[in-house]
Amino acid sequence: MAELPNTTMANECKVKLKSKDDKIFEVEYAVAMQSQTLKNALAHTGCTDTALPLHDISSQILAKVIEYCEYHVNAANTISEKDVKTWDEELVKHMDQDTLFRLIVAAKYLEIHNLVDLMCKTIADRIKDKSVEELREIFHVQNDFTPEEEEQVRRETKWAHGE
Amino acid sequence: MDESPKKELAERRNTSSHLHRKEETPSWHLGAPVDIFFRSSPCRIVVVNAQELDHPIIYVNLIFEQVTGYRADEVLGRNCRFLQYQGSFAKTRYPLVDIRILTEICRCLSEGFDFEGERLNFRKGGSPLMNRLYIKPICNDEGIITHFLGVQSFKEANFDLSPLRGLVWKKSSGAIHTHILGDMYSQKSLFVHRDCSFKKCCPLYKVSDEVLVVNILARLTPRDVTSLGSVCHRFYNLTKDESLWKLVCQNIWGQETFSILESVARRRRLWWGKIVRELTTLEAAAWRKLTVGGSVEPSCINFSVCAVGSKVVLFGGEGVNMQPVNDTFVLDLNEDCPEWTHINVNSAPPGRWGHTLSGLSDSRLVVFGGCGRNGLLNDAFVLDLDEPQPTWHEVSCSTRPLPRSWHSSCILDGTKLIVSGGCTDSGALLSDTFLLDLTMEKPVWKEINVSWRPPSRLGHTLSVLGNHKILMYGGLATSGPLRLRSSDVYIMDLSEEETRWKYVTGSMLPGGVSTCNSAPPPRLDHAAVSLPGGRVVVFGGSIAGSRLETKVYILDPMEEKPTWRILYVQGRQPKYASGHSTCLVGGTRVVVLGGHHTEDWMLTELHELCLINLKGTD
Repeated sequence: MAELPNTTMANECKVKLKSKDDKIFEVEYAVAMQSQTLKNALAHTGCTDTALPLHDISSQILAKVIEYCEYHVNAANTISEKDVKTWDEELVKHMDQDTLFRLIVAAKYLEIHNLVDLMCKTIADRIKDKSVEELREIFHVQNDFTPEEEEQVRRETKWAHGE
Repeated sequence: MDESPKKELAERRNTSSHLHRKEETPSWHLGAPVDIFFRSSPCRIVVVNAQELDHPIIYVNLIFEQVTGYRADEVLGRNCRFLQYQGSFAKTRYPLVDIRILTEICRCLSEGFDFEGERLNFRKGGSPLMNRLYIKPICNDEGIITHFLGVQSFKEANFDLSPLRGLVWKKSSGAIHTHILGDMYSQKSLFVHRDCSFKKCCPLYKVSDEVLVVNILARLTPRDVTSLGSVCHRFYNLTKDESLWKLVCQNIWGQETFSILESVARRRRLWWGKIVRELTTLEAAAWRKLTVGGSVEPSCINFSVCAVGSKVVLFGGEGVNMQPVNDTFVLDLNEDCPEWTHINVNSAPPGRWGHTLSGLSDSRLVVFGGCGRNGLLNDAFVLDLDEPQPTWHEVSCSTRPLPRSWHSSCILDGTKLIVSGGCTDSGALLSDTFLLDLTMEKPVWKEINVSWRPPSRLGHTLSVLGNHKILMYGGLATSGPLRLRSSDVYIMDLSEEETRWKYVTGSMLPGGVSTCNSAPPPRLDHAAVSLPGGRVVVFGGSIAGSRLETKVYILDPMEEKPTWRILYVQGRQPKYASGHSTCLVGGTRVVVLGGHHTEDWMLTELHELCLINLKGTD
């Protein structure tokens, strides 16, 4: 792997990202470094003017990812852990499922582990204590069990519901 | 394939008729709607025959033709690798095509796994395309792979983000994949078109199984995991994953419990799904009798035991002529024929009875207090069983709690000894609580100061709940001028700034009985065991009227209104069980030593309460 650019270059380097729908986003080098994927790519190419194409990420999602990374890059040393937590909670508070999942896929692809964790924790919280029907509604999943299969599953899982 | 069927296929597609002539229909049949469906999707579809040599292509859709520039009749019958050659005249693959991907594809195909990844391809004209490829094996009714289905989306390859990421492959599960193409159009499908914009597609499908299991499901309680598993086939199959239940166990019961269970699970080849279930419901709890070899001689009573890994360690006791003894015995339950072994230790503590023996982390144990030859003691000694020549070391401290016997103790975090109550030389009962942090170089006894203390007592139990809570139950407690058996439960949270004892349930008065019908009668010198999840199980001990009762009771202090319940346990329960001669081994077996008659104290016949079914998979 090529050497990482030296510090001065790193400070001046602006990384260009191209979303699925061809929108270009420009971010600071330090912000891009939050993503392990981009870190590896930039180690190969050095600072380049070419936009890195992110085939699967829409501009809407990429904007959110960048928002997260930009806040966390600054938060690292200056903002208290408690305030960071509050900001994170605000970010996900009213996020719809679709965005949450798209963000997970994007964050996983870009290897931004904190963001993957945050998104997954949010989804886990939304799954907590919901009934099967509610879960189907929340995640727009169709019931593909036959009635017999459904009965069998219910019997198998009775134990976890305190029955 | 010879010329004519190929041309015929190409013609038929162009006239939007059935995909195959009837005679050529494979065991899974594609109806007319599916072809339209394929043609309206933005994906390239390739189907190859898995049973013929070199996996020839038997179907490509229109989009494939349009994007790659290759016509169907040019590619049918050939292996897909031509897509890696730049231009139609190239004989070898382009050097930048990542060989690792190809190896991975070959491996997945030969083992019947799904494949998902990216690779570099070329159009007929030679221009490059990044190919996001998803390959799925298709099985017939007998579960034999007959075809491979490839769904691809191509992007312009301007820049190669290397290394090519996300080689995600999942094990194929036969039940899902038969009839998969037939189901697709009816939208009940579990097949994922990663790059298609299905409006009704569940966004959860975009997330890989690995992320779902490790990052999301592993954070849930068993209740939520099973609820999600009841939603659809895909999730149901995820909840059958052993590694998921391992993660769930770690998450809900913590690392310490998990490590203890892991050694048992590994040794007996238990299934994690079953472990979590049985430790939650205790449906498999059973009394068993265990005969062991060796013997504890000279026999004694009022010794103390504790568990260290798979071993039961016994120290001290009241021997012949009621003289205190200081022998150390070990019984390793992991051996095929466990037998009591006397350990020759260096510098054994002075003999005693009515003391406490508690297991620390890393094969160490600590003894405190008790009645010695010349009165009550307040010294503490630590023994490391892993040492080549085990030696008892006294814990030297300047200030110590009052000497006492029949106090209770527990270990917090594997390193902190907590003792409470007991009886002093003068016969007075105590109600204090002390903590000794054995991680410190020079450990110091610290009294836990509280504004209010439960009535002083002896013969009670202290159980640890999680990382920082302790639960006190029962004992012989002061009640005015009297001492009466207690049924009270108190909890203290040591992580709070102002620690205090909280009353949980009981009668509020020693000797009284609580209103709950299945509450255990008040008792002392009983056995109390902490279960994962912060539940407590009690049995045995001495109850009013000198009766001996070994019904098992369970309490969950986390409930809103914690209530005692009777736990129905299969098998014959022992007639006698006492707290100081009972211990929990390997997180799953409560070993009860001793009995009422003299011969019982040879300790060759033990009783154990197995919390889970320890017969593993064959």
